[in-house]
Amino acid sequence: MPEIRLQNITKRFGKSVAVDNLSLVIRDREFVTLLGPSGCGKTTTLRMIAGLETPTDGEIYIDDTCVFSAEHGIDISPDKRNVGFLFQNYALWPHMTVYKNISFGLENLKWEHARITARVDELLSMLRISELRDRYPAELSGGQQQRVAIARTLATGPKILFMDEPLSNLDAKLRMDMRAELKRLHVETDSTFVYVTHDQLEAMTLSTKICLLQEGVLQQFAPPLETYHNPSNYFVADFVGSPNINMLEVTGENVNLDEVRLTSNGLRFLFVPTSSSITVQEGQEFLLGIRPEDIVISPEGNIEGSIYSTLPSGMETIVKIQTENHLLTSVVFGGVDFSMGEAVRIGFKSEHNVLFDRKSERNLATGKLL
Amino acid sequence: MNYRNRVKSFLKKPHNIILITLAFILAYLTVVPMITIILDTFTVHQSELMRVKGARVGDFTLYHWTKVLFSSASKKVFYQPFLNTMLVSFGTCFIAISFGGIVAWLVTRTNMRYKGIISTLFIFPYIMPSWTLAMAWLNFFKNSLVGGSTGFFTALTGIQTANWFAYGPFPIVIVLGLHYAPFAYILIGGILRNMDANLEEAALILKASRSKIMRKITIPIVMPAMLSTFLLVFSSAMSAFAVPAFLGTSVRFQVLTTQMYRTLNGLNPGYGYIMALIMISIGVLILGVNQWIIGKRKSFTTITGKSSNIAFINLRAFKSIISALLLVIVTLVCIVPLISFAIESFIMEPGNYSLDNFTTVFWVGQGSPEIANGEPGVLRNPAIYHGLWNSVRLSVLVAFIAGSTGILAGYAIVKKRNSRLSMLVNNLAFFPYLMPSMAFGAIYLSMFAVRRGFIPPLYGTFALLVLVGAVKYLPFASRASVGAMHQLSNEIEEAGTIQGIGWWKRMIRIIIPIQKASFLSGYLLPFISSMRELSLFILLVTPSTRILTTMLFQYNEKGWNQYANAINLIIVLFVVASNVIVNRVTGASIDKGIGGQ
Repeated sequence: MPEIRLQNITKRFGKSVAVDNLSLVIRDREFVTLLGPSGCGKTTTLRMIAGLETPTDGEIYIDDTCVFSAEHGIDISPDKRNVGFLFQNYALWPHMTVYKNISFGLENLKWEHARITARVDELLSMLRISELRDRYPAELSGGQQQRVAIARTLATGPKILFMDEPLSNLDAKLRMDMRAELKRLHVETDSTFVYVTHDQLEAMTLSTKICLLQEGVLQQFAPPLETYHNPSNYFVADFVGSPNINMLEVTGENVNLDEVRLTSNGLRFLFVPTSSSITVQEGQEFLLGIRPEDIVISPEGNIEGSIYSTLPSGMETIVKIQTENHLLTSVVFGGVDFSMGEAVRIGFKSEHNVLFDRKSERNLATGKLL
Repeated sequence: MNYRNRVKSFLKKPHNIILITLAFILAYLTVVPMITIILDTFTVHQSELMRVKGARVGDFTLYHWTKVLFSSASKKVFYQPFLNTMLVSFGTCFIAISFGGIVAWLVTRTNMRYKGIISTLFIFPYIMPSWTLAMAWLNFFKNSLVGGSTGFFTALTGIQTANWFAYGPFPIVIVLGLHYAPFAYILIGGILRNMDANLEEAALILKASRSKIMRKITIPIVMPAMLSTFLLVFSSAMSAFAVPAFLGTSVRFQVLTTQMYRTLNGLNPGYGYIMALIMISIGVLILGVNQWIIGKRKSFTTITGKSSNIAFINLRAFKSIISALLLVIVTLVCIVPLISFAIESFIMEPGNYSLDNFTTVFWVGQGSPEIANGEPGVLRNPAIYHGLWNSVRLSVLVAFIAGSTGILAGYAIVKKRNSRLSMLVNNLAFFPYLMPSMAFGAIYLSMFAVRRGFIPPLYGTFALLVLVGAVKYLPFASRASVGAMHQLSNEIEEAGTIQGIGWWKRMIRIIIPIQKASFLSGYLLPFISSMRELSLFILLVTPSTRILTTMLFQYNEKGWNQYANAINLIIVLFVVASNVIVNRVTGASIDKGIGGQ
C-alpha cells in the first residue's frame, strides 16, 4: 500500500527557508491538496516528494521505502520512485506528436509495440482526445494540452500521482469540468493523488484532506470540512472559504461556567462553547470568526444594520451589511436581492463560530452565539 | 474610405512612414549593390584590358565566368579556395558550437563553480578582433621553416612546430572556432535558459535515462535554435578574412575571401565579384533554410515557462576538475594572448626572448633609420594617433547611425508585424549580414566611385567608411531592437496615445527608456564591430582615412611584427575597456545585442 511519509522535512534556499520541519503522512488512496498562498513552499514540498528537489534535512518514505534521508545520505532519483507528475504548464514535448508524448514513458518501460499502441489508444479514448493523436502540442488548445498531459502521466499507471496546479492555466468553465474529471480519475485509477493549488475552492471541492502551509510551516492537515468549520488558527480560517470569514476583535469576560460574554465596539454576544470549555481572564482579547452563511438576515435578528453592497449571482447573493461600527459579510441563498441602504436586522445561527486568541491567533473553541 | 483617404490615414501612422522610407533607402543600399555586383561580373574593368582581347572598359563579357568556373585555371582560382572555405566554415562551426554549447550547458544546467567569471571571460574572444587569436597563435607557434623568427613554444622547448600545426587550415579552424564559440554560447545559453526545465523533468519521472533525455528531449528541442546558430556561425566564418590572411597566406592556403582580396585589389576584379556573388548566394540560401526551419509545423512555441526552479545537475566528483579546467582554458584563450602581444611588442630581435633583448623602442622610441624605416614608437607616432582617432570617430558614427536606424526599424517592424511591408524591411535590414564584408566594401567602392544622383563621388572620403559600416552593422541593431519591441506590449504605447502624447515624446519618454538596455546593446555591437573590423574597410581606406585595423594589417604585411603587436594590444584593450564601461554604466551587453537572454 503506497503511503507517503515526510519526517521533519526542511528545505532551505540559501538563507531563506522554503519548508520548515514538515511532517506529514499521506495514506493510500487519499486525495491530498497542498494549499497555501504563493511562495508558501507547497510546490517545493511536492517536488521534494517526487525527487525533483533535494531537501536540506529530514526523511521521506514512499511505500515504506526510504527514498530520501539527509542523515543516511539516501536520495533515490525520481525515475525510481514510481510516481507520476503533472506539471503546471503541462511540459508537453513540443517536438513529439500527442501519440509520441503518451507512448514515451511506456517505451522507457520496454513494453512491446502492440501493447503500447493499445494502451495509448485506451487513454486517448478515455480522455476523449482520440482525434488529436497525430497533432503536435503547438496545435492544441489549453484544455486539449491538459488532457494529453494527464494521459501521459496516467499511461504508466503510477499508484501515486503528483499534480502541480494543473488547472491554473485553464479558463473558469474548463476548470470546473476538469475538477469533476479529476475527482472521477482519482476513483477510477485507484491511486493516491497529491495536488498543489493556491485556490482554496479547488482544495475544498477536490480533496479528502487539505494540508495548509504558510511560509513553509504546516498550519493544519485535516479533511476540508474540518478545516472549514474548525480551523486551527486565524490564518486557516481566513484562507479557507469564499467570501471571507467575518473576523471581529472582541474582549471577553466569564459570565457563568460555560458562557463567555464578548464585546466588540458596541456589539455584545454570549458565546457558548460546544467544543471544549474555556476559561477567560477579565478583558482578555480575542478574535471571533463568523462564516458569512451563519449571519442571517431576518426581522427576528437582534442587530440593526443597513445594506452596504450586494452581489447577486442567481444562486446566492453576497451582502455586505453596515452595522453601527462593523462591516459584516453575509450570504443569502436563492435569487434574492436588496437595495443599497435598505435597513435590515441580522442574527446568528450556527454552532461553528470560532474564537481565536488575539495574540497567538490559535483556535480556542468553537461555539454558539446567543 | 476612398483611395485618397486611405493613403492619408496610412501616412498618419509614424511606423508606416518609417517602413516606407526604410524600404526605399535599404533597397537602394542593398539591392542596387547586388545588381551592381551581378553586372560587374559581366563587365570588363580597367585592369582587365590586357587579358580580354580587343575589349574596351565597360564592355559586356563572359570572360570572368568562363575563366573562374570552366577553365584550366579554375581549380586554382576558384574551386580549391571554395573547398577550403567550406572546410574552414564547417570546421569552425563544429568547434564553435560544440565548445560554446558545452560551456552553455555547464553554465545553465549544472552546479559548476566559477560561473560568473567563466561566463564573463568566455565572451572576450568575440569582443576582441578575430585576428587577435591568430596573432597570438603565431606568437606562440610560428616556426622558422616558413621564414623569420620562431615563437615562444620553440624558444622554450626547442621543438620546431610542424607546418600544418603552425599555419593553414588547422590553426585557422581552431582560431575561428574559438572566436565564434562565444557567439554560439550566447545563443545556445539563451535557449537553454529559456527552455522549460519541466520538459526534462517530465521525461525523468517517466523513467528515461539521462542520456535518453539528452538525445530525445533536450537536443531535439534546442535543435532548431542550434541550426540557426550553426547557420549564423557558418556565414560569419565563410566571410572571415583576417584570420585566413594571417595564418594561411604563408603556406598559400587560400580561401574565397583572401582570393577576393587578391583579385579585387589586383588584376581581376571580375573574378572577385563572381566570388562575392557566390558567397552572397550561399548566404541567402542559408537565410532561406533558417526561415524554413523556424516556420515549420512543430515550431516550439511552448518553450516558455517558469524555469525558475531548475535543479542543477550535480557534477559530483567532476565538479572541481571541470570547473578548474574550463577556467584554465578560458584564461588561456583570453588573457594569455594579450600577454603575448605585450611581450612581442617589447622585443628587439624577434624570436629572442632573453631579458637583454627587451626594449621599449617600439612604444616610445624616437624612430631610427635602422628600424622599420625610421618609424617612431607607437605612443609617439602621430600616424597611430590619427588612426586611433579615425577608428573611434568612425565607430561612434557607425554605432549612432546603425543603432538609431535599428531602433526605428525594430519599432516599425514589430508595430506592423505580419504585414508584407514589415517583412520586406525586416529582410532588407538583415541582408547586409549575409554579404561578406570584403565584397560589401568592394561593391560600395565601385558603386560610389561616381556621382549617384544627389550623392557626390565618395571614394576616398570618410563618409564612405561611415556609410558602409552603418549599413553592414544595421542587422545587429535591428535584431536587438526587434527583440526588445517584441517584449513590449502594444498597450504601453497606446496608453500614451490615449492621453494625447505625441509620437516623439512616446518614443523618447516611454518606449526607449523601458527597453534602454536592449536598445543600447544595438549601439554597442556596431561600435565594437567597427572598432575591430578589417575586411570591410580594407579596400576603402586611403592614407588620410586610415584606421587602426588597416594600419595593423599593413604593419603585419611589412613584417614589422612589434608594431603590429603593439597596435593590436591597443585595439583589444580599447574595445574590451569600452565594452566593460558601457556594460557597467548602462547595462547594455553584447549578449542582448546578439539575441541571448
